Amino acid sequence: MKRIASPEQLEELREAIIKGIPQIPCITISSGTCGLARGSDKVVQAFKEEIKRRNLEDKVVIKVTGCHGFCQVEPNMILQPEGIFYVHLKPEDAGEIITKTVLGKKVIERLLYTDPNTGEKFVHEKEIPFYRKQQRFILGNNPLVDPTKITDYIAVGGYEALAKALSKMNPEGIIEEVKKSGLRGRGGAGFPTGYKWDFCRRAKGDKRYIICNADEGDPGAYMDRSLLEGNPHSILEGMVIGAYAIGANEGIIYVRNEYPLAVKNVTIALEQARECGLLGKNILGSGFDFDIRISRGAGAFVCGEETALIASIEGKRGEPRQRPPFPAIKGLWGKPTNINNVETWANVPLIITKGADWYSSIGTEKSKGTKIFSLVGKINNTGLVEVPMGMSLGEIIFDIGGGIPEGKQFKAVQTGGPSGGCIPKDLLNLPVDYEKLAEAGSIMGSGGMVVMDEDTCMVDVAKYFLNFLQDESCGKCFSCREGIRRMLEIVTDITEGRGKIGDLELLEELAQVVKDTSQCGLGQTASNPVLSTLRYFRDEYEAHIKQRKCPAGVCRELFISPCQNACPAGMNVPGYVSLIGEGRFQEALELALDTNPFPSICGRVCDHPCMSKCRRNQIDEPVAIRMLKRFIGDYEQENLILPPGGTPKEKLPHKVGIVGAGPAGLSCAYFLARLGYQPTVFEALPVAGGMLAIAIPENRLPKRVVQQEIERIEAMGVEINLYTQVGKDVKLLELFDEGYQAFYVAVGMYGDRRMGIPGEELRGVVQGVDFLRDVNLKRRVKMGKRIVVVGGGNTAIDAARTALRLGAEEVTILYRRTRQEMPAFEEEIEQALQEGVRLEFLVAPTKIIERENRVNGVEVVRMRLGEFDSSGRRRPIPQPDKTYRMEVDTVIPAIGEFADIRELFTGLEVVTNKDGTIKTDKWGMTSILGVFSGGDVATGPATVIRAVAAGERGAVAIDQYLRPDRTRVYPWRVTKHVDTYYDLEAEPVPYGQVQGPTLSVDARKDNFKEVDLGYTAQMAMKEAKRCLRCDLEVDLEKFHQWEKSLKAIEEVKTW
Amino acid sequence: MLQKEPTMEIDLKQVDAVLSSYGRRKEFLIPILQDVQALYNWLPREVIRRVAEGLELPLIDVYGVVTFYKSFSLKPRGKHLITVCLGTACHVRGSPRIVDELQRKLKIKPGETTQDREYTLETVNCLGCCAIGPIVVKDGTYYGQMSTQKVVSLLGRE
Repeated sequence: MKRIASPEQLEELREAIIKGIPQIPCITISSGTCGLARGSDKVVQAFKEEIKRRNLEDKVVIKVTGCHGFCQVEPNMILQPEGIFYVHLKPEDAGEIITKTVLGKKVIERLLYTDPNTGEKFVHEKEIPFYRKQQRFILGNNPLVDPTKITDYIAVGGYEALAKALSKMNPEGIIEEVKKSGLRGRGGAGFPTGYKWDFCRRAKGDKRYIICNADEGDPGAYMDRSLLEGNPHSILEGMVIGAYAIGANEGIIYVRNEYPLAVKNVTIALEQARECGLLGKNILGSGFDFDIRISRGAGAFVCGEETALIASIEGKRGEPRQRPPFPAIKGLWGKPTNINNVETWANVPLIITKGADWYSSIGTEKSKGTKIFSLVGKINNTGLVEVPMGMSLGEIIFDIGGGIPEGKQFKAVQTGGPSGGCIPKDLLNLPVDYEKLAEAGSIMGSGGMVVMDEDTCMVDVAKYFLNFLQDESCGKCFSCREGIRRMLEIVTDITEGRGKIGDLELLEELAQVVKDTSQCGLGQTASNPVLSTLRYFRDEYEAHIKQRKCPAGVCRELFISPCQNACPAGMNVPGYVSLIGEGRFQEALELALDTNPFPSICGRVCDHPCMSKCRRNQIDEPVAIRMLKRFIGDYEQENLILPPGGTPKEKLPHKVGIVGAGPAGLSCAYFLARLGYQPTVFEALPVAGGMLAIAIPENRLPKRVVQQEIERIEAMGVEINLYTQVGKDVKLLELFDEGYQAFYVAVGMYGDRRMGIPGEELRGVVQGVDFLRDVNLKRRVKMGKRIVVVGGGNTAIDAARTALRLGAEEVTILYRRTRQEMPAFEEEIEQALQEGVRLEFLVAPTKIIERENRVNGVEVVRMRLGEFDSSGRRRPIPQPDKTYRMEVDTVIPAIGEFADIRELFTGLEVVTNKDGTIKTDKWGMTSILGVFSGGDVATGPATVIRAVAAGERGAVAIDQYLRPDRTRVYPWRVTKHVDTYYDLEAEPVPYGQVQGPTLSVDARKDNFKEVDLGYTAQMAMKEAKRCLRCDLEVDLEKFHQWEKSLKAIEEVKTW
Repeated sequence: MLQKEPTMEIDLKQVDAVLSSYGRRKEFLIPILQDVQALYNWLPREVIRRVAEGLELPLIDVYGVVTFYKSFSLKPRGKHLITVCLGTACHVRGSPRIVDELQRKLKIKPGETTQDREYTLETVNCLGCCAIGPIVVKDGTYYGQMSTQKVVSLLGRE
C-alpha cells in the first residue's frame, strides 16, 4: 500500500477504493472468536471452495469479518446488497446458498432467523427484532469490514476523523469537542473523557503516553474483544486523535492474554497503518509523530485497574498504587499518561466526524451516546447489543434479548461484572445509565449483562463473585485480602447449611468496612455483589440459614435431588421412580404415600415443579414424574394400601377439628391420623374434596379417583361430616366447649373475584367456580350457545372446556395478557385448543350488553403492552379507541378467587391480611389460640401440592402445640433409603419421554371421559429408567440429622 | 516452597535467544517469560534463573512476577490442556458441575496434571464466548454447550 501523504490523498484513495468495489453480491461471514468456535472457518472454506469449483470468482465475493454481534445464531452470514440474513450455517449449506440465493435470487426458508417466542421468520437483517431496536454506531461497521484490510475501513469512512482533526482542528479544540460531547469512560468508572484528556495535556512533563486498556477482565463482557478483532482501525484512529490532542508520541494497547485473535488482528492493523503513513512519523503530512505497540497481559484481573496495568507494562507485579497522583499526572514511567478503554477510544472518531452536538443528543442528561452491552446467561438472544443510554432494562432483555429460554421466569440481571450488583424483576423499567444503575445498587461497569432465571441461586451468585475477587485480589490491602476471604467463608457456610442467625448482619458490616478501607477499585467495589443480593434477595439467604434450603436447587449440600427439593411436600421422587423401574409397584406406592395422601390426584393435576428442575432435561426431556405418580396411584390393589407405619394402635385422646375437606384439610387429617389422632373434618358441601371435587372437571380428574383417595383417609380413623358449615350449622366456640383443643381452618378460596364492569349482575353471567361446582355436583346449569370466558388460569380453561362439552357452539377465552403469561398449565391450554376453544389475547371486556334483562353481547377493548410492573411482566394498557363487540349469551368470569371467612369466625376476632387471607405466624397459628390455618385461605390461591404440604405442616404444628416435645421425630420427614440398583458409570438410556396415550378430540369433545389415559406398566417401567438418580450423589445420613431436628419445622414457608 | 521437579535436559540457549530479541530490557520481563513458556510449555527453575540473570534482576522479583500472573506455570503441564470457563454466564449455565465431572473422571483438581502427564486441568475466568457456554477448551479447540454427559466423549475414553 502506498503511503498517504495528506488528507487530500486520503480522500482520493477513498474514492478510488469505493469506485473499485466490484458491483457483485458479497457474502459476509461473521468470524470472530465465538464464530470460529462454532465452525465459521469451515463455512468460509466451504464457500471459497464452492466458488472456485464453479468458476464464480467474478460473480460473487466472500468477505470474512469480525463479530456481527448476534452470537446466538452463529455461524451467520449477510448477503449484500440485499441484506439477507442466514443463521446456524453449516459447510454443507454453501452450495445451496450460492445456487438458490446468490444466483437464483430466492430465499432459503430454513436458514432464516426464527423468533423463538412467535415463530415468525425474518429475511433481512434490519427487520430482525434483535437488531431493530439497536443503534449500532460503533458495532455497525463490524459486518462491513474485513479487519485485515485497511482499505475496507477507509471505504466506510475510516480515518476521515483523523484527517479532520489533524488538518482542521487544534489539540485544545479537539479536547473541547470531546468534553462537549459528554463522552464518559466506557471501562466502568464513567469518568468524563474530555476532562481526563485535559488533565493529561496540562500536566507537567517532557513526555506523555496514551494507553488503551484492553484487559477486559469482567466475566461475561466481550465487546472490547469484538471491536479489537472486528474493527481494530477504529481504535487506532481514536488513539491517534487522542495522542494529538494530548501531546503524546507513544501509545500502548494492553491486551489481555486470553485474546489471541485480537492480538493478531491489531498487529496486522498496526502494520498496515504504518505502511500507509497513518502511524509513525509525519502522519498524513501534519508533522505529528505517533506510534503504537502492543503489550500483552499475563492473566490477572486486577491489571484492568489502571495503576496495576501500568505496573504490568513496566514488567512488575500488577499491584495498584495510591491515587492521587492519578496517571494523568504521573503514570507510566512516572510520566503523564492517559488511559482509556477500547470502547471509549472507538467513540472518538464518531464524535469528531459527526460533532459533539449530534453525539450529546443521544442518551440521557448525564450519560451520552450509545453503550455496547454483552447480553449473556439465561437469555434467548445472546450477543452484543448497542443501544442509546437510557433504554430500559426490560426493553433490552425482552425486546432485544428475546426473553428467557424454555419459558422460565426472569429473576435478576447482573450488571457491571464483579464490581456490580444484581437487579431484580421489579426494576425492569430502570433506564440504563451510569446514575440510575448506581442508585439501584449496581454499576454500568464494562457493560456485561448476565441474565439469571428461577434456576439461579442468588446466594451462590454472591459466593461466585467473592470467590473470583478473592482469587484476583493483589493482596496488598489487609481489608481487601482478609475481608473478602471472611465474607466468602460466611457465604460459603450459608450455602452449605452452616449459616447462623447474625451472619447477615456480620456480612453487611464486613462489606461496609471492605468498601471503605480498600485502596483500589477492586476492593472498593468487592462488596457490591453481596450487598445487592442482600438488598433484593434477603429471603433467599434466610431460607438457606433458617430452613437450610436452597429454593433454586443449586447449593448441592442442601438438597438430595433437585426434584425432591422443588416439591413443596418433599416427595422422595428418585425413590418411588426407581422402584417403579424395577416393577416394585406396591413399594413405590407406599413410598409416595409416605409424604402425599393423593398420588392419583396429584398425578393428574399437579403443576409438577419437580419436572421443571429435572436434570434429565439437559439431555432430552424431563422425566415424566407426574405420569409415573399417577401410574402407581392408580395401581390396583386387593387390599387398601396404607402409608408406611399405618396408624398406631394407641390413639391419642386430644380432639382436633378440621374445617374444610379440601386437599389441605384432608392432608392435615391424614398426617394427624398417622400420629394417632382421630380428627373430625367439617365440610359444608355435600361432597368432600374441595376444589378437587367441585372445581376441577371430570375430564381432568374423575370423581371416583378423588373418592378412592378420600376413602383411604377415612379408613385411617378420620371422620368427615358433610353438609356441616362451621359458623352456621356449628360454631367454633361451641366446639371448643365440647372439648376440641385445636382446629385447622382450611376452607380454601372459592369465591370468585368480580370483574367490576357494568352488567355483571345480569342473567347469563355465571361466575367460573360456581359454574364448575354446579356441573360437578350435577346441578342444573343454565348456559347458552355462545360463551365468553374471562381469565387465563386453570379455572378459565376448565370452564371453557366444560362449556364445550355441555353443548356450547362457540367458546372464546378473553385474556388480558399474552399466551406466554397465561398461568394455566401448558398441557391444558394445548388440549383446549385442540378441542376448539378459541383464545384471544391482549383483550378485556369493558361492558356486558343487556337485552331483555339478559346477556346479549359484550364490549371488548384491545390492550397494548406498556411498562413492566413489579411482577416483571408488561402491564396491559387499554386502547380506548380500539374496541369491538362480541355477540354472546353467556359470560363466565374466572379472573381469580378470594376468601370468604366472615361467617366462619362468628363470635371470635380473627386477624386477616390486606388481601383477605388469614394471618398466621411461623407455626401456622392464627390470632386465635389453638386455631391454625393453611392452604389457599392463608396463602392466597396456590396449587394442590402446596395444599398437601401445608396440611402436613399444620399437623406437625398442632401436634407440637398439643404435646410439645422438641425431640420428637416425624418419620415421614426422614428421607428413606431405597435399595434399588443404579449404575452411576453407565450411559443414560438413550430415549426421550415416553408419551402416554390421550383420547382423540372426537372421542372426548362432547363428554367428560378422562382425556389422559395414563401409562401401562411397561410404559411406566421404561420411563422410570430415564431417571439419572441425582440422589445417589449424596450421603443420606448427613441429611437425616437436619431432617430429624425441630429446627427443620420452624420458620416454615410456602415456596 | 519450591517443589521437587523432574530432572530433564533443558536447552537454555533458547532462553538466551529470547532475551536478546527483547534487547535484554527489564521492562519486557513479562513478554520474555511468555515467549519462554511457549517454548517449554512451563517454566522450569533453571529457565527462570537464566531469565533473572539475563535481565540482572533479583531472582525473588522474577518469582514474584511468575507467581502473580495466572498464565505462568511452575509445574510441567500435560500433553492435553483442558480449560473450563468459569465466567459468570457459564457459571449460571452450570459450568461448576462440568468441573466436578472432569475432576471425578481425571482424578485431579484444577491446576493439576494427571500422573501419566496426559491431561492438565485448568479453569479460566471468561473466554468471551458466552453465547455457546458452558465452554471447555481442549488443546485450543473450543467445545461449546458442554454438559456433564459430553465430558466423557471429550476425554476420548469411556
